[in-house]
Amino acid sequence: MSPLLFLILIPIFGAAFILAGANARFTALVASVTNLLFLVVLLTRYELGGEQVYQFVSSWPIVPSMGISLTLGADGLSLVMLALTVLVTLAAVAVARTPEKNPHWFYASLLFISAGGLGAFASIDLFFFYMFHELALIPTFLLIGIWGSGDRQAAAWKATIYLALGSFVLLLGLIGLYLIQPDGMRTFDLRAISGLAKAGFLPEANWVYLLLLIGFGILVSLFPFHTWAPQAYASAPAPAAMLHAGVLKKFGLYGLIRIAAPILPASVLEFSNLLLVLLIGNILYVGYVTISQRKLDLMLGYSSVMHMGYIFLGFAALNILSLTGACLMLFAHGLSIAALFALSGEIRERTGTLDFSELGGLAKPMPAFGLLFGFAAFAAIGLPGFVGFAGELLVFFGSFVGGDLLMGITETGKEIFQLNNFQIATICAVWGVVISAIYMLRAYRRVFFGPVADRWAALPEISGAPRIAVAALIVVMLVTGFFPGLLIKLIESASIWS
Amino acid sequence: MSTLTVPWIILFTPLAAAAAILFVGKFSKPLSAGLAIGAAATSCVLSWWLFFQEAPATSLQFHWIQITDLLQIPIGMVIDGLSKAMLVIVTTIATIVFTYSLGYMKTEEGYWRYFAGLALFLFSMLGIVLADNFLMMFIFWELVGLSSYILIGHYFKKDSAADAAKQAFIVNRVGDFGFLLGILFLWAATGTLMFGELIGRVGDFTLNPIYLTVACILIFCGTVGKSAQMPLHVWLPNSMEGPTPVSSLLHAATMVAAGVYMLARIFPILEAAPHALDVIAWIGGITCFAAALMATQQDDIKRILAYSTISQLGYMVLGIASAPTAEVSMFHLFTHACFKCLLFLCAGSVIVGMHHEQGIWKMGALKNKMPFTFLATVAGALALSGCPGASGYFSKDLIIAWAVVEHPFLGWLSVVTAGLTAFYTFRLVFVVFLGKPRDEAAKHAHESPLVMLVPLGLLSIPAIIAGYPFVEHIFFHTTEPEHVPHLLHPVLWALFAGGTGLAWLLYGNADKDPVRIPLFANRLYIDDVYGWAVKNVQDGGAAVLSWADRWVVDLLVVQVPSKLAWACGFVLRFLQIGNIQAYAFFFGAGVVGILYLLISR
Amino acid sequence: MPTLANYLIVSGLLFSIGMAGVLLRRNILIIFMGLELMLNAANLSLVAFSRFHLVQGGIPGYNAQVFVFFIITVAAAEVAVGLAIIVALYRARQTTHVEDLDTLKF
Repeated sequence: MSPLLFLILIPIFGAAFILAGANARFTALVASVTNLLFLVVLLTRYELGGEQVYQFVSSWPIVPSMGISLTLGADGLSLVMLALTVLVTLAAVAVARTPEKNPHWFYASLLFISAGGLGAFASIDLFFFYMFHELALIPTFLLIGIWGSGDRQAAAWKATIYLALGSFVLLLGLIGLYLIQPDGMRTFDLRAISGLAKAGFLPEANWVYLLLLIGFGILVSLFPFHTWAPQAYASAPAPAAMLHAGVLKKFGLYGLIRIAAPILPASVLEFSNLLLVLLIGNILYVGYVTISQRKLDLMLGYSSVMHMGYIFLGFAALNILSLTGACLMLFAHGLSIAALFALSGEIRERTGTLDFSELGGLAKPMPAFGLLFGFAAFAAIGLPGFVGFAGELLVFFGSFVGGDLLMGITETGKEIFQLNNFQIATICAVWGVVISAIYMLRAYRRVFFGPVADRWAALPEISGAPRIAVAALIVVMLVTGFFPGLLIKLIESASIWS
Repeated sequence: MSTLTVPWIILFTPLAAAAAILFVGKFSKPLSAGLAIGAAATSCVLSWWLFFQEAPATSLQFHWIQITDLLQIPIGMVIDGLSKAMLVIVTTIATIVFTYSLGYMKTEEGYWRYFAGLALFLFSMLGIVLADNFLMMFIFWELVGLSSYILIGHYFKKDSAADAAKQAFIVNRVGDFGFLLGILFLWAATGTLMFGELIGRVGDFTLNPIYLTVACILIFCGTVGKSAQMPLHVWLPNSMEGPTPVSSLLHAATMVAAGVYMLARIFPILEAAPHALDVIAWIGGITCFAAALMATQQDDIKRILAYSTISQLGYMVLGIASAPTAEVSMFHLFTHACFKCLLFLCAGSVIVGMHHEQGIWKMGALKNKMPFTFLATVAGALALSGCPGASGYFSKDLIIAWAVVEHPFLGWLSVVTAGLTAFYTFRLVFVVFLGKPRDEAAKHAHESPLVMLVPLGLLSIPAIIAGYPFVEHIFFHTTEPEHVPHLLHPVLWALFAGGTGLAWLLYGNADKDPVRIPLFANRLYIDDVYGWAVKNVQDGGAAVLSWADRWVVDLLVVQVPSKLAWACGFVLRFLQIGNIQAYAFFFGAGVVGILYLLISR
Repeated sequence: MPTLANYLIVSGLLFSIGMAGVLLRRNILIIFMGLELMLNAANLSLVAFSRFHLVQGGIPGYNAQVFVFFIITVAAAEVAVGLAIIVALYRARQTTHVEDLDTLKF
């Protein structure tokens, strides 16, 4: 019996208890704390550099004739993502405000998203990998549509139809990946498929890669398929935005790094120029769109779209530096955007508005709130000391010499001075660092600095569970930022390299 | 205690103090101040101790990031003459300024926030000084940006302070953009980030000099941002919104010096790229001249000093590009740190005495009310303006001499600048301390408390003597150019006398500014151009893109498919006639048709 | 002795009559009866197939007959549900004519 199954079942049982009538908030907190403790145990039990790449493996055949089985297992990268999921879940449940209508369904939905994310990151079988993600989309739809704010139903429908479309394309891609395997050996088991790819049994299949890229790309809001994200995050209740932007959205990039990079590297390189153009769209175009946002929630939504560009860059360059950086950024961005959405939700609870023109000077009545927001904002723009900086740095270093799986240092210096496409993309991406400083500091300045309006002069300070939760996220980012080696060792033990 | 561990103690004591203040500072004012000053003093004492040790060139090292053998980012320290001298300068100035802050910040709010920021600032700067590789330097480079953001924005309730802090960070990030790219370029070519190894491999670039030139210019962008060279100098005068001791620290030792120090650190690499050095020389020369022009017409006591800092930094950058060793510029950095710190602390003393009034035309005749501050200011002014015998005279004239030899045009430009320096410096002194009191506050000004005057006294001594060879040779070993034009030194003396004299004539007894040059007073309109560009080009462009995102991208990707789906439904719904029997008929007809097709084959 | 063809012709006639009733009559009860007729036409042909498709030793294949029992059972259930729906419909709309029941159009 795999301990990973418990990790997935705990939130599901928690949700079941809640729906059966247990105290919603308390049960959800207990479930997420239990999961966190459970994950810590898993991390200590994980053998770094052990013989098995995937550990805690167990498998239950579901449709043997098609090679579908519920196979759970975790390598270093899965563990990093599981840790992210568990941390963000706990923070999301902690900052959640119990709503008036259907509080039981609210907390149960949060736990279901968590279970879906955990299941997807712990699955080795592609069928269940896909299915768990779909499982998490339904509660996201409910959370936005029922407990959201603003034009919540339009946002919920738009996001859901968009994501369903992406999932559909992704499903086609996964079926394609199944079909290109030689007859009689077909399977959904990722380990077996990687083995086939390494042994040269997989034909070149660019169409499969393109389907995967577009499918996953839509899920991660790759330019130009990004317009659902800011609207959905702006309308979603804070915990839902935290869980989706922090965890679920990472599913697409995780899938690309996990599936496309080791199995279809030739296709990735063949279409690298296409991907570079799109991801520069994410970084520069969406970056400038972010600058002109007038509301904090939309700004954060767009900024999360923009940051995906860096991770795509890490994936596109396809070498050990850039992929490691991309994995670090998955973790870093998940935590920082979760903290930011939590804080913006808290502001909305207090003031009822997130419009820059109405806010200002909030650091005066709420100094601790301002400090936490400052930490989170600087973490998001990749300040050294936070793990995001290490991630961005590795992505830049990797992509600057990019395009070659497990490359040696290219002989750039010895040739005539000319830049290849990866280097041009890297230069654009480094400019993105300036852009993100502009919009983040502007937002910070407009919300927290300047003279304070009378009506905000007596806002209550952040306290209790939200304060602890956000502070915990920041502490994790700081610790992993000072010692990124902790995460890098885990990521290096992942299966994508072997 | 050994030379291996002491640098680590020097570096991390301020960070520990900052973290401690963050947690306990709000409970007790003396505790937070004590922690910060204690940390600075500890670092200072240890730095002096280290300075006189025959330390090994390396220190303990650990790998911050290590990925196979492709990329190693160590955190390690380089202990050589350059870094030891810089350590001493930074920690000593910091200790003095921290102590002075006790008096200056006495009545201000955000006391613990201020001291935590100061300690963090010191930590970041020490990291730059000690870094033995590019990436470690870049990390602390960014942290210096963060600490300056915190300190400049100390009075965050004021719009101007909040904007200045934001501007400082963003402008520095623009410079860092180039810096990081330069690091990437060098790393991609050599595979190493260590200063020592890079310097050893400069020869690899002989086949491809353009590459090295581009890389060096990109790295110089970091200096342009951090040391406030043209065209990224705009943040520095605005940073005067911070508390005055912060300005003092920022201008003397901790932030702007970092850019010049970095150039000195990689000097052997720059030497291999002569075209890059030309660019550096021109930027430095133009900055030094233009900033001096702007300084002549400022009315805010701190802004005058800010522009003079930019101008002096221009000298240092020009010196890097002209002299055969970086020690020449480091020498000026050292003397400048002493007298500029002194001048800012004097300004702070004046500002406290004037109840936080900064306009020089509100002051006047302060020499009677604040005699001690007056004397200290005169000492600083003599040093800054290059009066023969004061510290600035030795270091600045050395740079000018090298510049005249190597880049004659820029050199003579910097000679003219020396005259301007004397003019604007003594304009400040005459207007503030002589003449008549022009305001009620000036009539009731008072001398500052002892805790502020002692630092002034301490700094006045090096401001005068730091340039003499017996001091210089403890720290640096500079060389003089051989073929200096004989006229140069007499011209410089004449310009000093002329500048001072002109200032006396114009401002010795003026009630308002007799000269009005809007071009200089408005800083050559550079700030306005930037303001216009940010507002119209950047924000306007962003607004257009935002509009496009909503009405073009969203339209094409979401609205058009959605409308297409709706149109298909619209066509198909004409089949929905609502009569069950018709549906049954269609169904039956369909079955018959399919059967016919299947059978007829 | 009637052959399989005779049975099938009768079955086809029954099916056509039922089909015509479904397509042409306006009263929903009559349509329902037409439906039943079509089901029974299918039953008839199934029983006929069973009778004429002998497996070993002249015993008829019972599979088809079992099938017929299932159809009869399901048809009974369907009638129960269908009539209930029709009654409910009549109560709601006061009519059993399909032409009046055309709400489900654009």
